[in-house]
Parts: sequence; C-alpha cells; structure tokens
Amino acid sequence: MSALTALARLRAVRDGVAQRITTVRHCHISDQPLVLIPLKLAGEAAAPLAAMVGTDPGHPRLLVVPQPRNRDLRFAFAAGLAEVLLPYIEGFEKSTETVERRGGEPYERCLDAPQILVPNRSAASFTGLLGRSTRFRRAEGPYPVHPSVPLLGRWLTYFADRSQQPGSSVLLAATEALSLHWATGQSGLEDANLAALLGWIDPPPGMSGHRAAEEAEDPLLWPPAGPTTDPGFDNEVLAPAIRAYEEAPTDRAVDRVSQALRTQLDPTWRLMWRAVDLLRSLPEGSRVKDRWEIDRGSFTRFVERIAEGSPPQARRDGAVGAAARLAGLERARASYDVQRAHDDPLLMAEYRLTGEAFAGTVIAADPEHSEGEGRSRKLRPLITVRTGDPVRLTPGTVVGSPDRRGHAAEIVEAVDGEITLKITKGMGRGRTPAPGSVPEPGERVSYTSLIDDFQSSAALPGPEQTPWTHGGPPEEYEPGDDDAQEEWL
Amino acid sequence: MSDSLDALERRIAGLRAEVRRAVKAKENSLARSLRGELRRAEQAWDAAISSEAPTPAREPETSLLPIREQVHQALAMLGVPTSAKLIVAVNDAFFSRELRGSQLTSLRRDEERSFRGDPYARPYYLCAALTDRLSPARGLLADSTWPAESRVLGPLSPRVDFLTSTMRIAEHLARLAEPPAGAVRLLSRMAQNIPGAVEGFAPADPATAIRAARAELEVHRATDAAQRAEVAARATRQLPDAERLFGVTAMNTLRGAC
Amino acid sequence: MNSLRERAFLNRLDELRGTMPARPHDARAIAALAANPGCARRAVMDAAGVDKDRAARHVGFPAPFGQSQFAITRGNVFESLVKENGCAELLRLLRELLGLSVAQVGYRDVESVGSHLRHSHTRALIDRAAREDDGTAVFYDHPLFSLEIAGHTSYLEPDVVAFQIGGRFHIVEIKSFGMIDGQAEPDKVAAAARQAAVYVLALRTLMADLGHDPERVSHDVVLVCPENFANRPTAALVDVRKQLSVLGRQLTRMTRVEYLLEGLPDDLTFDLAPGEDGVPTRSADELTQALLQVPARYAPDCLSTCDMCMFCRHEARACGSTDLLGRQIRDQLGGVSGMHEALGLAEGTREAVEGQEEIARLLRLADRLREESLR
Ligand code: SF4
Repeated sequence: MSALTALARLRAVRDGVAQRITTVRHCHISDQPLVLIPLKLAGEAAAPLAAMVGTDPGHPRLLVVPQPRNRDLRFAFAAGLAEVLLPYIEGFEKSTETVERRGGEPYERCLDAPQILVPNRSAASFTGLLGRSTRFRRAEGPYPVHPSVPLLGRWLTYFADRSQQPGSSVLLAATEALSLHWATGQSGLEDANLAALLGWIDPPPGMSGHRAAEEAEDPLLWPPAGPTTDPGFDNEVLAPAIRAYEEAPTDRAVDRVSQALRTQLDPTWRLMWRAVDLLRSLPEGSRVKDRWEIDRGSFTRFVERIAEGSPPQARRDGAVGAAARLAGLERARASYDVQRAHDDPLLMAEYRLTGEAFAGTVIAADPEHSEGEGRSRKLRPLITVRTGDPVRLTPGTVVGSPDRRGHAAEIVEAVDGEITLKITKGMGRGRTPAPGSVPEPGERVSYTSLIDDFQSSAALPGPEQTPWTHGGPPEEYEPGDDDAQEEWL
Repeated sequence: MSDSLDALERRIAGLRAEVRRAVKAKENSLARSLRGELRRAEQAWDAAISSEAPTPAREPETSLLPIREQVHQALAMLGVPTSAKLIVAVNDAFFSRELRGSQLTSLRRDEERSFRGDPYARPYYLCAALTDRLSPARGLLADSTWPAESRVLGPLSPRVDFLTSTMRIAEHLARLAEPPAGAVRLLSRMAQNIPGAVEGFAPADPATAIRAARAELEVHRATDAAQRAEVAARATRQLPDAERLFGVTAMNTLRGAC
Repeated sequence: MNSLRERAFLNRLDELRGTMPARPHDARAIAALAANPGCARRAVMDAAGVDKDRAARHVGFPAPFGQSQFAITRGNVFESLVKENGCAELLRLLRELLGLSVAQVGYRDVESVGSHLRHSHTRALIDRAAREDDGTAVFYDHPLFSLEIAGHTSYLEPDVVAFQIGGRFHIVEIKSFGMIDGQAEPDKVAAAARQAAVYVLALRTLMADLGHDPERVSHDVVLVCPENFANRPTAALVDVRKQLSVLGRQLTRMTRVEYLLEGLPDDLTFDLAPGEDGVPTRSADELTQALLQVPARYAPDCLSTCDMCMFCRHEARACGSTDLLGRQIRDQLGGVSGMHEALGLAEGTREAVEGQEEIARLLRLADRLREESLR
C-alpha cells in the first residue's frame, strides 16, 4: 500500500467513484473464461451446497446438493461439476505448438489454456478444498465414485495451487483482479465484497459509488458472493427447503432448493461477467502475454502428468514443504512486481516516490565515451538526465529502463536532480553505439534499480524439474485405501 | 467386477507404463499416440463401469415392535445405561433400523408419568440412571429391572459402561454368521477409542476388541463397583420408589427430565 | 482505587446503563473487549454493561452479524460426538496428547446439580481436584466459571476442563471447523485461542481464590476439531500466553475507564428501558446524541468485532475521517486524520501546519507523479 494508492482512495471518496491505479491490465483475461461460483454449507469445512458454472453469460449451469450432508449427493454434485469442467479443460488440450529450447529438446505447449474465474479468495480456497476432498477417490472399491470425480479433484487442486503463484492467471479471484486495478473509497476489507467493489468501480447511472456500495452490503438486495451464504437466507429460506427435501425427496423438493439457491447465485453470476467486461476494457500490459505463456506451459505439463497416469497431488503436510514453498512464492512475487512496474508508468511512479526509480529529460550525452585502453577498451556512452524526482540511487548502482529491453546502465553521479549514467548494455558491439541505442538530449527517459531476470533469461524449467507449484508434487505419492475411503461427511 | 473391466484395467496400466517410457526416451510422437490409445481405453472403461448394474439397495426391514420395546431390546443387549444416540445406532446396526433419535426425547417422561399413575403395572420401565447427587443423568436410559448398582453412576462409570457396551456389541457380532456392515462400522468406531482394540482404521475384529476392552475394564472395575455401591445404597436408603427410578428433580426445575 | 471512589465509579456506570440490567458477557464478548482497545466509546459501554446490539438497533444501525443455524447445529453435533460415551473420543485424544495413564478416566458432569448450584459445585469440584483427594475426575463437563468485569459478574461455560491427576488443569475447547491435512484456518484458530484464554483466566482466578497456585492451569489449551472431511475428532495444544496477556491488560484498563468518564456530562446515559411494546422509550435521536458524546476510534476491523460498527462507520464517514480507509492508509497519510485535509495537502490547496511538512511534501509529490503517469 503506497501513498499513491492512498491518494487514489481519497480521490475515490471525493469523486464518488473508484480510481484507476494502473494504466494497463496486468492479468490475462481469456476470450472464453469459465466462471465458477461455489457455495458451501455454513459450519462445514467442505460441504458443497451449490455452484453456478459456465462459459456463456446467458446460460449458466446450476448444480445443487439438496441435502448437503448426504455423501452420495455430494459426489453426484462433483460428477455434475466434472461434466462441465472437464470438457472445457479438454478443449484446450488438443492444439499445441512446438517450442524450441536453447540447449534442450523442443517440447509441446498448448496454444491456449483454460481460465477459471471465481468471485473471491475464499472461493479459490474452497475450490482447493473441493479438489482435496475428491482427488483421492476411486471408481472401484468400497466407496466407488464416478470415474470423473477423482480427475475433477486433481484439476481443481491444480487450479487452486496455481492461483497462489503471483502473476498466474489460470484461476483468478474477481475481487483481487479488480482491486489490482482500481482503488475504491472504502477499506480493503470491504473490497472483499464483490458487489460493493463493483458498486464503486461501476456505479449504476445517477448513483454514487458510495451509495451503490452501501446498497450492495444489504444481503437482501445483493446476496453475498459466497462461498458462505447469508445466515438470514440459511435460516429463513434454505433450512425449510432442505427439511422439506428430507421429508419427501421429490423432484418438487429438489426444485424448491434449487430455486432458493438460484436467487443467491444469479446476482453474483451477473456481477462476475460485468467484472470480466470491465477488466477486458483495460489495455493489456506488455508482459501479460509472457506470463500467460508460462501458464500455458504449466497447464500443458499437468495435462501430460495426467495422461502419463501419475498419481494425484500429495496431501500437503504443513510445516516442512511450506517454508521452501513460501520462499519460492516470495521470489515470484518480487519478480511479478518488477514486471508490472516496467509495464506501467503508474506503478513505476510508486518507485519514483521512494527514490528507487526516476524519470526525466536527457540534457547531455557523450555516445562515444569509452573506458580502458587497447584491447580492453570498452564503449561506455554517458548521458546526464535532469529529474524532479527524489532519487535515492548511489553511484555504482545498476539500473534498467522500462522503455528499452536489454538496455542497462550504471549510476555515475547524482547531484541536485542531475543524474549521470554510464550505459553498459544494449548499444551493440561496434566502436560506436548502434543507432538509437543511446538516448539523445531532449528525450524523456526513465530508469530504475528494479531489474528482473526475465530480461535476460526466459528459459522455463524442464518438465522433469517442474516445481509442484506448477502442478506436480515433488515426490511420487501413492494414495492408499484410506485416502480413497476417507469419509466426507 | 466383470472380466472385461479387469482386462481393460490391465491394458490401461500397461499403456501408462509405455507412455512413461516413451516420455523418458523423448519419443514425443510415440508418446502422443500412446496417450491417444490410453484415453480410448479409459473411455471404454468408463463406459463399461457405468453399464454394470448397480447393486440393489437393501430394503429396510420394518419392525412392528413399539418404540419402547425396541429401546428395551437395545438396552437388554448392552446391559448398561445408554444414551439415546447409541440406542439408535445399535438398533440401526442390529435390529429394525427404524428408530429415530427424536422419538426418544419424551420417552423417559412418559414412562415416569405411567409409573407414577400406576406403579409397577408394567413388567419394566425405561428409567433414568442416577448421578452421585441422585439426580437423573443427562440423556441416559436404563432398565428398571436392573439391580440398583447398574442404574447409578460414579465418576468412572461412563468409561466402564462404554467399555462394557463395546464388549457386548462385539460379542453379539461374533455370534452372527453374516455380521452386518453397519454393525462392524459401529464396533470399529467405538474400538478406536480403546487402546489396542483395533488397528488404525481397519474394521475391528470382535475378539481383539473384547480382549482390549476387558483389559482396560480390569483397571477400573473394583473402584467403580465400590463407588456405585455407595451411591446405590444411598439411593435405596433415601429415595421413595419413583425417585429411585427417575431421580430427584425437585431442585432441578430448569431442566427437562431427559 | 479506594472503596468509596470505587462505589462512586460503579454508581456512575449504573447510571450510564440506566434501568436495564447489565448485559452479561460471554467468553466471546470478553475476548472481543481487547479487539479495539483504543476506543473510549466501546470501553465505556462495555464497562457499564450496555447492550450494544440493542443500542445499535435502536439508533437505526443494526450490526450485520448473524449465525446460520447450519453452523450452530454442526457445532452442537460435533461437540456431543466428542463428549459421548463419557468423553470416549476426548479420552483417546488426551491419552495421546498428555500421556494420561489408563486409570485416568473419571468423568463428572457438573450439570448433575441444579443450574443455580452449578457455579458453587464447580468451585467445590475444582478445589477437591486441586487438593488431590481421591475420587477426582479427569473430565469436568459443563463447568461454570465466573469473572468479574468492572463490578459485574459474568458467567462462563467452557466446553470441558481436563485435569491430569497430580498435574495440571487444561481447558478443552471444542470447535467444529476442520483441520485439513494438519492445517486449520488461522483466523478461526486465533478466535478459538482468544476465547479459550478467557476460560484459562477465569479458572486461574478461581484457583487463586481457593488458595491454590493459579499456574497449575496450563496456558496450553486443548483445541479439538474434526479431522479432514470426516467427523473424527483430532486435537492439538495451543499456547495462549499471548492472548492471556492481551486480555489481562484490557481488563485492567477497563477498571480504569474512570478517567474516560471524567469529561462526560453528568446526566449522560444510554438507558434502553423498554416501553410496553418492548421498544426503548427514549427517542433514537436522544440516544444518538448520547452516544456521540463519547469519542470512538473506528477502524474497518470493527466491522467484524463490534456491535456498534455501522453507527461508528457512518459517523466516521460524516466527518470525513481517514480511519474509514483502514489503518494502512492512515499510516500512509502520516496520520493526517481528515480526508479533505489530506487531499488539500496533496493538491496544494492547503498549507501544511507545523509537523505536517514532511507528509505534505510526499503527498504533493505523489499527486504530481500520479497526474504525470496518467497523462
Ligand atoms: S465500532 Fe465504534 S464503538 Fe465499537 S470499537 Fe469500533 S469505534 Fe469503538
């Protein structure tokens, strides 16, 4: 949270509408995303109650569990979800491209990958729990389930795990994706309510964001986006409907439960597609494609794992793996932050504010400056930039420029808003710099000490070294009978 | 499971191994075509499994016994004061499977009313178990024909009675030629709370369960018997008939009888 | 505080509450006392035992809290499963966790006496156990503790107290949220720990009262939850030392609300005495005015911890407070408390007063950079 975001929030309050905090979109939005809104029974860890799911805004599929405590009905629900999700996923498996690798065998990568959108982080976690509770099931043995159920479980686990990877877009929580791009006039806590958040971003005509958000907090007007349902709805509507089903499990009773749940899901369904439209309306940042490419690679490898008959992802036992995993995530987070700053002047402004970046005008240039003698003589063009930014970079610091890939320089001196830099990379191998590679006087430039490896190496880890965050467990895990028979009450 | 399914499964396992080999050898196009075959085999398996007829659900046998008789039957089997929940579970596992917990809520009150109206008119009453304060123990049902020591509780009695009922269930199971699955599950769940009575989550073996329960029972038996005898003596000395069966509730106006 | 002053102070609290009986706190409410320690409004209302939920409703800002009956049922079902058959499941867990010997199986239901005797019966049983008489039990089911809060007694009902013969007392807290592959939701564990700390404190107070060493009540509470997706209970020890010290601090502070009362008008009261229709007789306006006399310190966290949240949020909005946006934002704004003021500083329409120069410079720069980048 920076002073810039704080400022944007203040403006949002004053203007009554959310303010942009990026100039471009930083997540991938698929042409054909699948929206999934899961609901669970209050008080239970992972008892699915209903889900609205689909790729067509006009035709959602509604799945319900008329008695959420009934194990068979739960697995029937899982099978129903598999019926929607698996064909959608399989639709992306067929068309692939061959990717050449320097120093490695070429490999196959799917041309596109599935994308699941859920309303919020809790829905993403719940998706993971659904995965956990279904992936070890078996189609044969003492408690058989439909063969699609364990496969669904593995996919849900894949998506939920992968969604924790910074910069991944295979599973997005709408509130997070929106908050990444807009600042509202309320607290971050309140932003977790999808309806309220959208009320600020896109209030109905004639209504202020503030009013719209307030209205959105009324569960009677805007049912919560789940996974937990409104307690008032539970007590007044759902409980009697479930009781009626228990007494007489007829089609009418199922209908009654379905109708009740539909009222809770329909509004969120519409909100989800509005969120998609809003996100689509933002121009895409230039590195979004690169990150989606990595997602496609990850997806492809998981498809292969399944085809090879690998066992389901391991149960995760708390402490040990967690530390290593956290460190990995932290690195990914740092790199993702840098990438976004390079893509987006508004995000770079945050670093300018803290003195880790600056922008200004070139006032002098010595493009043919060189260092060393004889054979070790090196071309080191010098430029001087004038800036009003509070630069806090010391001489010797290596900097890069968001506008020029492959360009690198070193701070020589920084006094009174005039920064002298020595260019060290990106001007060619000749005695004189390649044309255009050294900024000319009068040009606007920006530099930052934030640099990320992505500029030099875009190599992906080989499929064999796939970290499990990309879909595979670190060791083979053979689920036992206990896993398959584990109660799901 | 039918032969064709077995064959398909063998084929799937074989294909999986081949795919893995091909991938290791970096034979990409071979791996692709093998994957295709694997997918088809799996689809065939899917089709085969869903066409197998589901096993017909067992018709619940209906019982013509009135509720109190059913409860009595379960109590007679267990021989110790028992909660409504366990009575229902035992009934479900061994007998008619039509008792519901809600049917038992007012049972003790009804029995007490009947006893007070016309004492000893029935051969037995479903009564309370008495705490060391001679008040009715929450939620437990007992049989009025049992000796007083069996109808009162000391601090160790809940454990002793739990071990006893586990043994009784195991003994009953051991006598059945075809032990019902529900009953084995019930015993396994109970045995998991007794050291050495069952291994992990495996179904409990009645003989092992009995041995383990008896071993722990030996530790508590003497103390429990002494404590119970003391309470029973007090109850016999101090209480009129109805209270001896249903407990002293006068000072206990805020709570229901059961 | 000498006794005369204390009497006066308690009288003052009674006046504030008016004619209604003091609202007793349960463990959850007591744990929540520590949620926003900086807020005088809450401190005064809680100390006086005012029914905040009712007050909020009367002034037209009901708290958005509700509990689903599914959650309640699930909680009850799980608790009775853990306790059934003389706590058989719990015994298994404690044998593993605390290494109880096979002989330690005693069970006492404190509820075997009338409800009016439960508290003294609990006292007697705990005293007996602490003196290591024979006949002591391992489990005390349905015990009833008390805790004095600003002159009023609150009664508390922990799930179970476990006593290890010759050893220590442990509070057992039974919760129905799942522990999946060894992990539970951190928020829920934290809430359970805060609540259990209240019981630990109450039992320690009782022990001290009885002349026993309060430290014999362990700061490790036994948290029992369903494992994975099944109903089978599993248990873990949770160290609540931190929660205990936060709670202790807050309870001492509450007896010091005295100084908060000083500046308040003498006739101030939050009286909610109902008329014949059950609705408070006082007008909502009057009550609103009374509430506004005591300064609040709203933060978005209030939305999940305090019955007054909607009222206080509305107030914070009306005065354009930066508190609305959350603590992080407020910190970013260098503690400038008004939104208008902060925007004015950023846009240069307002002069920085002394001490604001640094933040004003930063905000102006932020404003310039934002404009420049959006161009
Ligand atoms: S809601 Fe109001 S009274 Fe309650 S803690 Fe927050 S500011 Fe204080």
